[in-house]
Amino acid sequence: MYLRRIFSIQNAAMLGVVIIAALVPLQLGNNQYNMVLATTVLLYAVLASAWNIIGGMAGQLDLAVGAFVGVGAFTSGTLLIRWDVTPWIGMPIGGLVAVGVAVLIGFPMFRFKIKEVWYALVSIALVEVMRVLFLMWGEVGGPTERYLPIDTWSWYHLRFNTYMPYYYILLVMLVIVLLVNRWIRDTKLGYSLLALGEDEDAVEVLGVDVRAAKLKALVIYAFIAGAVGGLYANIYGFIHPTVFSTDMSVEVMILGIVGGLGITYGPVTAAIVLVIIREYLRAKLGGELAGLYLMVYAVVLILVALYQPRGLVPLFNKGWERLKSYWGARQRERGIPTSIENK
Amino acid sequence: MAETFVQSIITGVMMGAIYALIALGLSIIFGVMNVANFAHGEFVMISMYLTYLIGSTLVWDAVATPLITVPILFAFGFIAYYLLIDRTLRESYVVPLAVTVGLGIFLRSMALILWKAQPRALQYSIIQGNIHLGPYMILTSRLVAAIASVLFIAAFAYFLYKTWAGAAIRAASDDLDAASLMGVNYHRTYALTFAIGSALTAVAGGLLMSFQQTDPTGGSRFGLLSYAVVALAGLGSLPGLLIAGMIVAIAEALAMSFFDPRSRLLAIYLVFILILWLKPKGLFGRK
Repeated sequence: MYLRRIFSIQNAAMLGVVIIAALVPLQLGNNQYNMVLATTVLLYAVLASAWNIIGGMAGQLDLAVGAFVGVGAFTSGTLLIRWDVTPWIGMPIGGLVAVGVAVLIGFPMFRFKIKEVWYALVSIALVEVMRVLFLMWGEVGGPTERYLPIDTWSWYHLRFNTYMPYYYILLVMLVIVLLVNRWIRDTKLGYSLLALGEDEDAVEVLGVDVRAAKLKALVIYAFIAGAVGGLYANIYGFIHPTVFSTDMSVEVMILGIVGGLGITYGPVTAAIVLVIIREYLRAKLGGELAGLYLMVYAVVLILVALYQPRGLVPLFNKGWERLKSYWGARQRERGIPTSIENK
Repeated sequence: MAETFVQSIITGVMMGAIYALIALGLSIIFGVMNVANFAHGEFVMISMYLTYLIGSTLVWDAVATPLITVPILFAFGFIAYYLLIDRTLRESYVVPLAVTVGLGIFLRSMALILWKAQPRALQYSIIQGNIHLGPYMILTSRLVAAIASVLFIAAFAYFLYKTWAGAAIRAASDDLDAASLMGVNYHRTYALTFAIGSALTAVAGGLLMSFQQTDPTGGSRFGLLSYAVVALAGLGSLPGLLIAGMIVAIAEALAMSFFDPRSRLLAIYLVFILILWLKPKGLFGRK
């Protein structure tokens, strides 16, 4: 039984996609621009998949990604600049600091039942608060950029003159985040989250500790975002209060909604499609029509929210099912038994 | 010390009235339709750009431009309601949130395409200058804008409580189903509410442009500011909105003069987060 779960079609498909993704740099490796693009796609895929735990499963539209990424970036970056601590330690510490911030803000919020629209607003206000705080905190932040050490190839500093290592680190992170996503789904926590995403009050009446479940989801998500933030500082080579970005928060939320709330592979799919479109438009038309890439996001988001609120990935799945049943009908006509009949 | 304090209070009271006017449109849309308009700040930003456009091409004063921008924003709100908001009313909160966030991004990118990223300001307004009162200074532009804000809020209160359309809006806000049975066409009432809410930002935009500049990203600042004021006031109280605006603006002015000039956003957001924790219905909330 256990072996059958490991060798499932889903896992085979995931492994295939990972292998293809791992081969991408061999094709693009010589072109730095394409590598930046691929790395950005993965970065957003990781963040949006982590967001899916609280935003998708638990239905709390969180907009604090920018705050957690920023805290992680500042923690890991400052450790490296000040005390020469390797980001391999800095990233998990950054994740823990982000968890601290998340609990500090999340505990009272869930305690006082701030939810839905107000939760989204408080979380986006948190990003701005953190940005201003770090702008004022001259010891660590301040208005000037602080640069990380420059190396051509150093695994200790995690600084390279190419994006390829970052790409692979992010790919590993993405696999971990997706596995965490699927693992949560099979636990009691996952069932609680999915249920409270539908109807919070009803779930609470049934005896689920809604507050604890939401806080757990927030902690897992904040840790991942903080750790990614540590890597973010290394990828871009400097830390500055602008890493606390509300735009990033909104973008991650858009990827989550467009991909499909609570669908494990939704955000990844949305990140691949939308981030590539965005970067392509920015590169091609960024000069003449500076805001066009944002407009595409806006139009896609509005259309999906109005006509396909469950996200785009279920739409593909539906098409796939239809194709399968059509194929099954054809097989039956020819007298070949199919697996669909058994279901 | 005491002088700085009093000066901060004076500035805060005047800016507070303007903040209340900025938040008024959001408050009525949220209160009546229960739709949190995440594009509200962008509405303000677009009205400021329209004010700039009219002010610079027709050489009008910023204070006079609402004569043109109010009808434009009214029509815009009407169209936006029927095109986008009307379909989202019966959905979960995610759908209207996503749609208004999308609308906000759309407006911001439109401003970026049309007017590029540099800030725009009008050169001169008849209400510039200042009045000296002993050791204190009052900027005429803020004073006029504050008085105009109070007048507009009063006029809106008159509309809401003394006219048939206002009664319909209040009825739809209290009990949608009962109002429908009494012959209120709620689609039309909501469209009117949304259009009025967006037209009010045009008034605020005109007043703001008499002493401020505008840039495409400014919208999100006005948006969060409005939400802070609305959260503090609670939904459904117009005088409460005025007082809440003043509390926010006084907190902002005090933080700027006694703590750190960069901390003005901090003061606003702290007020916002604290009030949500301590009194989620706001100070004067009716529901």
